[in-house]
Amino acid sequence: MTLRLAFARLMREIGIKDENLVVVVGDISHGILGDFRNEFPSRYFNIGISEPAMVNIGAGLSAQGLIPVIHTISPFLIERCVEQIKLDYAYQEFGVNLVSVGGAFEYSKLGCSHHCYTDFQILSQFSNANIFFPASSEEFEILFTQNYNHSKINYFRLTEYPHEFPLHASQIMTGEPINVSEGDNLTIVVVGSSLKETLKAQKKLNDSKLSADIFYLHTLKPLNLTKIEKSLRRTKKLLVVAQVSTHGGLYASLMTSFSGRFIFESSSIEIHDFIRDYGDWDTILFASGFDENNIYKSAVKLVNGN
Amino acid sequence: MVHEGLEGHIPSSFSIVDILISVYESFPELSNGKENIRFVLSKGHGVAALYVVLAHFGILDKSALKEYGQNFGRLGGHPDRHKQKGVEANSGSLGHGFPFAVGLALGAKIKNDKEFVVCLVGDGECQEGTIWEAAAIAVNQSLGNLLVIVDWNGSAAQLQPVENIIEKWRAFGFNSLVADGHNQEILSKVLKEVRKSSNNKDIPTVIIAKTVKGKGVSFVEGHGKWHHKIPTEMELKMIREELLS
Repeated sequence: MTLRLAFARLMREIGIKDENLVVVVGDISHGILGDFRNEFPSRYFNIGISEPAMVNIGAGLSAQGLIPVIHTISPFLIERCVEQIKLDYAYQEFGVNLVSVGGAFEYSKLGCSHHCYTDFQILSQFSNANIFFPASSEEFEILFTQNYNHSKINYFRLTEYPHEFPLHASQIMTGEPINVSEGDNLTIVVVGSSLKETLKAQKKLNDSKLSADIFYLHTLKPLNLTKIEKSLRRTKKLLVVAQVSTHGGLYASLMTSFSGRFIFESSSIEIHDFIRDYGDWDTILFASGFDENNIYKSAVKLVNGN
Repeated sequence: MVHEGLEGHIPSSFSIVDILISVYESFPELSNGKENIRFVLSKGHGVAALYVVLAHFGILDKSALKEYGQNFGRLGGHPDRHKQKGVEANSGSLGHGFPFAVGLALGAKIKNDKEFVVCLVGDGECQEGTIWEAAAIAVNQSLGNLLVIVDWNGSAAQLQPVENIIEKWRAFGFNSLVADGHNQEILSKVLKEVRKSSNNKDIPTVIIAKTVKGKGVSFVEGHGKWHHKIPTEMELKMIREELLS
């Protein structure tokens, strides 16, 4: 099941139990949300092409004690609505669940207008924000259920490209990295769908008699760094693989946490500038360096210095 | 208050004093704590007037007015709902309070509450795109429990003149009324009538309230340098003399 279908299914499931759940969409996913719309017509709104007002209106719903779930494409939900999120939900501390699709460059054939690499950068500045990049249906279902009614800013970036790595439900906890593969030569912190290519790179590393201690993140904020730090103190090499902007991205955040406390070497694969090329997702993934070969090369370079 | 706090928008505040008094007189639930009505000041620039009116109606302790514009005071140049009872929304960035009010009205409708939502916006604020996004949504969602008051004080005229603001709201589908924004008697009558009929309507209402920016003080009225100016001792004396004359 795709994450978007899981989202639609979960809205119905929670909608049955929680009469405060209100789903507001910006002219997207209204087909798959048909069950929710049909069962709870008074709690479903397709606002259309009015993203800032849509996000703004959610704060009014929250002020009424309702739990808004606002859903549309990442750049229009986050980048277009920075001020609404800042003033309505961060400054005024109303609760909201922002659920996006198309994060990073998943609308790869549509170009930069539909890309969004800065969602983590924008939202991480807000102390009451939780940021989730789930890359399996189960992760989304567990994380959303754990957090949706906690009066926070909850952001879920849904991917169309799940990592397909089997995780046990008990491993999926808000803010907890998962050690999906153990190794000795470096520590890799990888986010969301990039786990798939990173695990392929791990096989290549193994063929080269190297191994990485790989921590998978479905939650970027809050983030318990205890296990990652322990690993990094051992390997002294850190590679971050995250489909977010380099500027104020996850790598910068981890550097802020670790720098000056112990000595290690590090590098990252993130997004430095607009991805201006068009193409299918695999092509743009490769062109942007998120493919197994580049992850492998980056790891080897970090370990061997060449 | 503005003189002491060295902060404030006097003309924007003076233009809405009569509107605010009319709202709080017409809807006493705003003062007595009943939760069937909400008032959102979307044009946060006029918050000095709101603080004074809240004090006048006993929602804010009059002694607190001394905190206006002071270091760590609870009354800032734009309102903060966490710091002052009676403030429904942290407005200030124009175009935010009105969509929030639409959300309040929509939420009340979802909950089947008989709550009435009143929102005061500026005519300059009506240049913000979110005002019209939210207006379209309010009509589309049949929010008869929503009343918008536009402080038509001519702010927009010095920026990007809009001569047909009434027709604009009407074109968006609002039940549109025009009133003298300084005639409290007429305003109160209109406000009560709008609310009385709101239960039977599925169309939101707008009152275009004709006002004068800086109303009551000849040399402040209009535009220009007084928009965010702090009066000197001499100017303060002159303002008081005109207001009390």
